[in-house]
Amino acid sequence: MNEEQYIEQRVGRRSPFSVPEGFFDSFADEMVRSLPERRPRVKSFWLRPTFYAVAASLCGLLIGAAVYLHQFESSQQTAVQTVAVQDQGDSSFDEAADYAMLDNQDIYACLAGY
Amino acid sequence: MDKYSDQQIVQMLSDAKTQRKAFEMIVRRYSERLYWQIRRIVLSHEDASDLLQNTFMKAWNNLDTFQGGAKISTWLSRIAINESLDFLRRQKHLSSGDDTDMTLADTLSADPYFDGNEAETLLQEAVATLPDVQRTVFQLRYFEEMKYSEMSHILNTSEGALKASYHIAVKKISDFFHARD
Repeated sequence: MNEEQYIEQRVGRRSPFSVPEGFFDSFADEMVRSLPERRPRVKSFWLRPTFYAVAASLCGLLIGAAVYLHQFESSQQTAVQTVAVQDQGDSSFDEAADYAMLDNQDIYACLAGY
Repeated sequence: MDKYSDQQIVQMLSDAKTQRKAFEMIVRRYSERLYWQIRRIVLSHEDASDLLQNTFMKAWNNLDTFQGGAKISTWLSRIAINESLDFLRRQKHLSSGDDTDMTLADTLSADPYFDGNEAETLLQEAVATLPDVQRTVFQLRYFEEMKYSEMSHILNTSEGALKASYHIAVKKISDFFHARD
């Protein structure tokens, strides 16, 4: 004998619970009377697919704009830095030329090997 | 009332003009079955009656979520059992601070709508020791002889897991009886 048969033999399958007389009929009547009027469900704005499509497009635009601005700013910074480095080089050269009291003629002559 | 099939009732539910009548048929057709499913879980008649009312109210307010492909009885049983299990969880939470020493046998013997003998009371005590879902599986299978396939739709669990759950429940109850022999 398996365990289920043991329980069945010992207790049976009868339900030991009962209900007041006429409970189910009165319950159904009362239940039907208490049902409120149903209103057609209005789909929330937040659940509409259009909302998500617009939100996704806006996010895409914002991210695109942010990436573009970031790249534009960094390329400008690189250009400014290059000019600054060049300026710095020129000004040092000029300072050195002044110190050595060389003018352009002397420099050309020096470079030409005279 | 009974001349309509479930399929016809489902069709009536989708039409605003006939849905109230269709739901009335549902209440009359399924009240008793759902009541017993709830009662075997919560045990008290008053609680079962309140939960049955909540079940129908929830079903009525969420008619839009009912998918015509599903069986009405499965949909309602799912709501009823979820309501019952939620109720048990709330009860446990409330009684955790309660220091009354009343046993389940005392409660059942004081209930005018329980006429079980000693063995039947013992079975209820054994069932009450099971985890909530295991208890539900046992009640649905042992007393209602519900098919695992239907139970699987109601409890959203695989048939294999339900069979295992029932087997464990039967073993525990059998051990409970042996310990008292």
